[in-house]
This record gives sequence, structure tokens and C-alpha cells, in this order.
Amino acid sequence: MPTLSASPCGSCAQHRTQSLVKLGLSPDKWDYLVALAGNPNVGKSTVFNALTGLRQHTGNWPGKTVVRAEGAFEHKGKRVKVVDLPGTYSLQAGSVDEEVARDFVLFGRPDVTIVVVDATRLERNLNLVLQIREITDRVVVFLNLIDEARRHGIAIDAKKLEKELGVPVVKGIARESVGIDELLDAVHEVATGAHSGQQIRIAEHVPRVEQAITGLVPVIEQVFPEVPNPRWVALRLLNADEAVQEAVRTGELGQLSRDDTGDLVDLAPEWGREQVLDAAMRLRWDLPPDFHDVVTQRAFESAEEVASRVQMGGLKKAGFAFDRKLDSWLTSRIFGFPLMLLILAAVFWITIEGANVPSAMLAKVLVEDGRPWLHGLAAAVSMPWWLDGFLIDGVYLATAWVIAVMLPPMAIFFPLFTLLEDFGYLPRVAFNLDSMFRKAGAHGKQALTMCMGFGCNAAGVVATRIIDSPRERLIAIITNNFSLCNGRWPTQILIATIFIGALAPSGLGGLVSASAVVSIALLGIAMMFFSSWILSRTVLRGEATSFSLELPPYRPPRVLQTLYTSVIDRTLIVLWRAVIFAIPAGAVIWLISNISVGGLTLAHHSVAWLDPLGLLLGMNGVILLAYVVAIPANEIVIPTILMLTVLTGSGAGGEGAGVMFEFGSVGVTGELLRGGGWTLLTAVCLMLFSLLHNPCSTTIYTIYKETRSVKWTTVATLMPVVMGVTVCFLVAQVWRLLAA
Amino acid sequence: MVNPALALSVFALLVALLALVFWPRRGVYARFARVALLTERVRLEDALKHVYTWEQAGRVTTLESLAGRLEISRVKAAMLLQRLAELSLIRTTDEGPELSDDGREEALRLVRTHRLWERYLADRTGVPATDWHEEAEREEHRLSAEQAETLSARLGHPRWDPHGDPIPTLGGHMPEVEQLSLAGVLAGRTVEIVHLEDEPREIFDALLTQGLHLGGRLEVLSRDNRRVRVASGGREWSVDLVDARNVTVRVLAEGESAEGPSETLADLAPGEVGRVLEISPVCRGPQRRRLLDLGVVKGTEITMEMASAAGDPVAYLIRGALIALRRGQAEWVLIERVETPAEVAG
Repeated sequence: MPTLSASPCGSCAQHRTQSLVKLGLSPDKWDYLVALAGNPNVGKSTVFNALTGLRQHTGNWPGKTVVRAEGAFEHKGKRVKVVDLPGTYSLQAGSVDEEVARDFVLFGRPDVTIVVVDATRLERNLNLVLQIREITDRVVVFLNLIDEARRHGIAIDAKKLEKELGVPVVKGIARESVGIDELLDAVHEVATGAHSGQQIRIAEHVPRVEQAITGLVPVIEQVFPEVPNPRWVALRLLNADEAVQEAVRTGELGQLSRDDTGDLVDLAPEWGREQVLDAAMRLRWDLPPDFHDVVTQRAFESAEEVASRVQMGGLKKAGFAFDRKLDSWLTSRIFGFPLMLLILAAVFWITIEGANVPSAMLAKVLVEDGRPWLHGLAAAVSMPWWLDGFLIDGVYLATAWVIAVMLPPMAIFFPLFTLLEDFGYLPRVAFNLDSMFRKAGAHGKQALTMCMGFGCNAAGVVATRIIDSPRERLIAIITNNFSLCNGRWPTQILIATIFIGALAPSGLGGLVSASAVVSIALLGIAMMFFSSWILSRTVLRGEATSFSLELPPYRPPRVLQTLYTSVIDRTLIVLWRAVIFAIPAGAVIWLISNISVGGLTLAHHSVAWLDPLGLLLGMNGVILLAYVVAIPANEIVIPTILMLTVLTGSGAGGEGAGVMFEFGSVGVTGELLRGGGWTLLTAVCLMLFSLLHNPCSTTIYTIYKETRSVKWTTVATLMPVVMGVTVCFLVAQVWRLLAA
Repeated sequence: MVNPALALSVFALLVALLALVFWPRRGVYARFARVALLTERVRLEDALKHVYTWEQAGRVTTLESLAGRLEISRVKAAMLLQRLAELSLIRTTDEGPELSDDGREEALRLVRTHRLWERYLADRTGVPATDWHEEAEREEHRLSAEQAETLSARLGHPRWDPHGDPIPTLGGHMPEVEQLSLAGVLAGRTVEIVHLEDEPREIFDALLTQGLHLGGRLEVLSRDNRRVRVASGGREWSVDLVDARNVTVRVLAEGESAEGPSETLADLAPGEVGRVLEISPVCRGPQRRRLLDLGVVKGTEITMEMASAAGDPVAYLIRGALIALRRGQAEWVLIERVETPAEVAG
């Protein structure tokens, strides 16, 4: 079992008792099942990590946990499984997140549900607590961020809150692991039944709703006598909540409340179940038309009442004067955009500058030194030439290349990005940019997933989870590929240096080629806006949309932890996926260069076959073939092109059939390419095509995983190719027309 | 190498061809799809609906009315009626065609499916209001009775369609609604819009562009035989009498607010506080639920904190959380101003 439990924060350990043994990933068996619920951005993931030692990605960003995360630990000899539910504002089951959270609390039958509450925003958070409390007694409330609350002069009477809610309330600071022991004890108590939830005052609704509820409750009680929360069930049935209706229909509802013996309660008779549903249906006609509004309003009112009783010195709200001060700069009309550009430019500059040296080192170790060493090893065990070539020149080399190119920039870019995220700046970027994105039918948060895409499109696609509106999220996923990713920057820079920089006087070459690459990146952003606009007006016109953007308070970033988690979460996971996809690509490249049919290799045949099309698009068959075989990873496009150019042309140099390589010097590469018939047009079209072509297979796979839809994956894959082919074709033909 | 001029011409030709085929609504494909949908069954169902609608309006279907409605020849219309009679969905009387019990049941089922689908589009998707009716016209012929029931359950067995029409129940029960059109309201009365007729589309679009919406309140200022002059939210304008007939209203009792709340969250300046009165009825479906979940409910006090660098969206302090809303959303939230207490130090 992989354990990722090594804590970067030494001080954390002292807060943990000996009895807490973190088990990391879920064990097969557990004694207690604990659900972790809470509003978005209250530190739920931090509590989860503190409990299990799993490094789930945490950030100062609402809506981190979309997919359910699971973990486990051992406490007082009992194995406890923890399920981290998505952060939701309510349990009305309006969005997918809410449905997941609600269904788990109701049907997952957790032994304990921990509700994490942000102490600075007690009133808002209590809304959810009360809703969960209506479903189950087995609740522990964790009042998180009490340090922040104290800073803002908010004090909460936990004892009183405990009385109001009828369940244990624990104060703590999850990121410093304060209060985690007490939380564990409280969970233990509730799980063992030592602390049983007490009855609490139930909020009355407006008369017409109340009438319907009192009409339905007796029917429910008669059919399901053991249901602990008939009022809640009644309300959900009146709201025509499908999941609850289904639970009534199948009789599952009656069995949700296990008695102490653990035996299942007898199934309620079918006629009774139908009777409940009929009664609910009948009573619904008498409800006021704005029923949902009224119920929600009541929930917030009762949360407000409870909050006002337990918050000492009246219901005071946190001031956040410092935050507003900072915001007045960061979101100002005058400084907002320049500051943003400055910060993002700094991130990219640090990434590019910082990655050069380690990339070169990795290339030296893995490619220059590693490959001969492996060949030597293969020779020592007298491996046949084809196996040696296939494994080392094909599979190993492709993998080594991907690691050397991808790892250093990602290991710098992602942590920097995460630091900004942790601090709370990124939501402000989305806030500032939203109006531009709105006009294109997209969500401001797409600005961030787009930036992530500059690091890696697959990571950008995963990051779209922060967009909670279905249509805007799809747009962000489909258009992420227009962000020029790490794997494509080297291609752009190399080609621009050789062909475009060479046109300028020697002193300006670097500047000219750099601006050419930046223009391509900007063209990508323009294409992203353009295709978002088209998508939102055509195929995605009818998709549901709902905008909201929470601006969390600024929080001091935790540098060490961020470095650790972002390397683990983003960099290594993305890299691992890329490597998996690079392996078959390396194999294919080696094979097509070494298997001959009729005296010529498969590569020769394919290049000859693709050449007419390539020329039509201003490129050549070698480039197209390289893009076909390099679908898995854009990093190996240039090495593949060089290898194929040498293989199919008369050019000298290279390493042998199927061996990808890069020259140490830009000049030699340029000569080789020019010898292969490359012109300025070829270079321009290659740069355009490198921007506008299908996502790499890692990204395609990620898109499928995120959307679960073949249709949208296909659209996301084909749309950029069609655009790229069209653009390259037009550029090439117009160019030739003008040149003639 | 291919001649670039030739290549470009071929490309232009190809693009033109593709546009011709796939252009939305007007393209060959769209036209073909429309015709392909018009099967015999669809025509029969449309004819049945026509008979039903006219019967509800107290009129008797004629060959002319049916031919006009379905845009077909009178001969074809006669054949449709005959076919309906053969299926014993209608009876032919001296007066004209009349629905049989089976026919009425079938017609109600179609109406039910149609309105359910409109409800679905309004609540669960982002399809614009002007497209609801047309989409439902197509979908009503596609959904089976079971599918319609599943849909109804998923939507929570809604009672009204988004235009304010009642959705018939499974048993064919449909509450009677009072029908008072805006054209018939006396000057000086205040009314609330309870229904906007979605057919014909031109008029419906015109009504929407005039800012009329379900639940909206109007004060009728004057009326002559061509137009009705109305006021709402501090704005005055005239509605054509023909258009006004498609607006069903309820006259409000005296004392009920004529204007209704007219200020919205979008009117607040930084630091100003508003108390929520209601969310506009125009805001529905996921958008409305999202606002409610964020704590935008009646009585919530909301402070406008700051605008973004571009001016939109704007961040509001809602129940302790700083939440950015777009201008369009903020305009849905009707408020009354709350005097801000003097700044408390600290």
C-alpha cells in the first residue's frame, strides 16, 4: 500500500496521540464509517488530511473536492473509514455535488457525519449543519478556523451550540492539527453510542407548508414507524425529491435507521409505501408556488437564530478590513489588470528560467548517459538487437524524453500556482477576468484553468472542476487545449529560433523569435475565446448554466506543505500518466522505422503517403507522421521529426533508425531541417499546427474521465484539428499565392 | 505542387457547400430534418391538438382553420380529420368535428407532454425562453407516455408550465384558469401577469422584448382601441392591443403594491446595504436555486463590497461570505435599501 503519510510539518506530530495510526488509503474493512461534510472552502480537505494523513490537494479555493475522496485511520483500536464529501452550501440536491453529499449522508449510512464549520461564518455554515441534523442524530460539528475567528473578534460559545444542536461541538484549527484529538474522541463517542443526539427544536414553516407537513407526517409514521426524521422525509417528498421517493417506493427508507442489533427492520408493506407517495402527491397541490423559496428562507432564518444565540456579543460578522484593503488594489480598475499580468508573467518567467538547468541535466543523465549505459547493459546480457532497440531506443528513450522536458517546468509551475491559489489570489483573477469570459459565454474561472493549461492541458482539464456550472465547465474543458502547454513550448521556441529569429539582424534574433512564440500563445488565447463563443451559441446553447464565484478570505500560504502536495498531487500524477502514454508511442516510433515492407520501412511508406497532404498544409509528410505517432506526448514531436527527417532524407547525422534525438546545437538542427526541404512557411505552419491540433492522448483520456461523455471527448479532440488544418491550409495557399 | 489559386477556390466551394447543407434552420440538413419529422403521426397529433385548442376556446374546427394552422391544403386537412374519425378520436357532427373521450384524453396527454417539456427546458437547461415552445412542439411527439411520467417525476410533478399554463395531471384533470387578458383591463387597475401565450412566436418574442414576464406587475394607465398604455418599474410604454390579448393577467386588490419593488442589488454602490424582497420570477431553474443556496432569500441583508477591475461582476457580502455575482444575476434580486449604520471602529 503506498503511504504518503510523511508529514512535511514536524510540529503536527506533537498534536497526535499514539492511538492515532494513519492507514492512508482505504482498507477493505472498517469498524466505523465517517462522512466529512461542510460548506465549500471551510478546510474540509485539511481536516481530512489531518485525520488520515493522505495528502489530498487542499487550496484556498471553493469546490476542491468534487469526486469523493476516501481514507482511513485507526483510533482506539477501531478502524475508521473517512469519506470526504464535496463541499456544498445546502443539501437541497440542486447540483450534482449536493446530490452526492446528500445521498451519502442519507443512504451511505455513515456511523458519524462530521460537519466542518468555518467559525468566521457561523451563520452561513449552520444552515448546512441544521439540514444534516434533520437527517441524522449522529453528527459531530468541528468548528474550524477558530484562530481566524478570534482575529476578527468573534467568539462562539461551543457549549451552548452543543445544546442548541444536540450533538458534540469541537473547536479547532485543522491546519495546525489543533482539536483533532478532541474531534476523534467525539467521533468515537457518537459512533459507540456513548453520546446520542438529543432532540432539538424544529423550525416551523409558513402555515401552508406546515399544513402539508402535518398532513403527511402521520402517514409516514404509520408506514415507517422507525424513521427518525419523518418531518424531513415529508418535506423532501413534498419537494418531489426523487431519491427519497425512490427510497419510499422500494422501502429502503425504513431500513436506513439500523437499530442497535444491526438487524434489518422488516420491509414496510407495499400498499403503505404507495399510500405515502399518493398522499405527498395530493398535498403538493396545496403548496404555495414559491414553496422552494420559502423552505430555503426558513432554513437560513433558523440558522441565523441559532447563530445569534451562540455567538457571544451578538451576531457579529468578520470584518476583513485587511482583505478589503488588499482587494482594493488587486481588483482596482486601474491596477487590477497590470498587477495581474505582472504576477502571471513572473510565474511564467520563473518557470521558464528555472526549468532550463534541471531539464538539461535530466536530458544529460537520462538520454546522453543513460542510454549508452543501458545499451552496454543489454550487450552484457547479449540481448538480441531488435529487443535492445525496441526497449531502449523506443520505449526507454520516449519516456526519458518526456520526463526531461516535462518534469522540471511542472515541478516549478504547479507549486507557484498553488501558492497563489492557497493565498486566495486566483479567485480574484477570475473575478477580474469574468466579464471577458462572460461575453464569450464562459466562466471567469476558466481564466485559471487556461493558465493551468499553459503548464499541462491534462492538469488544466482536471482543474475545471472548480467551475460549478455545467455548461461553462464543458466549454473550459473543450477549449483548454488552446493553451500552449509545456510540451509544446520547446517546439515553438526551437522552430522560431531557427527560422524566424534568423531573419532578424543578429542582435534582435532572440527578441524576434520570442515575440513569435508569444504571438502563437496569444493566438491560442484568441482561439480559446472564439471557440468558447461559438460553442456557447451552438452546441452548448441549451446546457444548464448558473454562475457563482466565492472570493475566500486571504490566508497566509503554507509554503512547505504546498510544495509537497503540489508536487505529489499535480506534477507526479500528470507525469505518471504522460509516461504511461509515452511508452507505446516510443515503441511505435521504433517499430515503424525498423520494420520494412518491400525494401522500405513503414516510416518511409507513411511519409510518402502523407507528403501530398502535408504540402497542401504548408508542412510535409514527416511532420504529419510525427504528429500522428506522437499523439501521446507533444514533447517527442521534435525528436521524432529529426529522426524521421534523417531516416527518409539523405541528411547525415542522427543516431540510427527509430532513435529519437536532438542536436546540441540549434545551427545543426537548422541545417538538417533546411536540407529536408524546410522553408519559413514550413516553420510557420508547424508552429500553427503545434498550437492547433488534437490534445495529447493523456489529455483526451482526462477529458473523457472528467466528462464521461464520448460525444464531448470527440468534439474536444476533433475541433482543434479541424481548425488547425483549415488555418494551415489557408496560410500556406495564401502565402504561395503572394510569393508567386 | 497544387496551384494555390485552385486550392483556395476548391476550399471556398467546399465551405459554401458545407454552409448550404449545415446552416442552422435554413440549411438543407435542417430543412430535411424538419420534413422527416413531419410523419403522418405527427400531423395527426397536431390536428388533434388543434381541435382540442379550438374546442377549449369555444370554437369549432373548420377545414380552413386546420389547413391554416398546419400549413397544408384543405384536401389534406379533410383527410386528416377523416383519419382522426376512423381512429374514433373525433366524432363528426353537423356542427363540425368534436372530440371523443379517447380523443380528449389523447389531446390532454399531448398538452401535458408539451408543457412538461417546457417546464424541463425552463428549469433544468439554459435554453432561452424564446425557444421553449418550438422545442416542446417537437418533443411532444417523441416522448412516450412512460417517458413523460419519468420526466414529470424528475421535475417534481410540476403543476404549471413556465408560461403560467396548468399542466394537466395524468388523469387528465386540469384546473380552470380565469382568462382575463391585458387588453380587457380597465384603466387605473394594477395587474400581475399570470400567463404569456407562446404562440404565435412573433408576438411572444415581442412581449419578451418589451420586458413582460410571468409574475411581473403592471399599472394600466389608459386604453384605446389600438393600444394599452402601461407602467412598471418607473417606465411607461404602450402595448399593441393584439399583443395584449396574449397576456393573461390577474387584477390585484387595491393596496397591493402597484410598482412592486423596483430597486435591485445592481443598484447598490460600494458599502451600501440592501434587504432582499424577492428574486424575480424570471430567474428560475438552476440559476434560482444557486442564488437561494448562496443565502439570497427574503430578508437577507446584502452589502455591496466591490466591483471587479472590469466593473462586472460585483462582489457582495452575503451572510458572511464574499460572493461575486454578475450584473444580470444582481438585477434579478429585488431589494429595499437599508440605512447603513455609522461605521463602527474596529
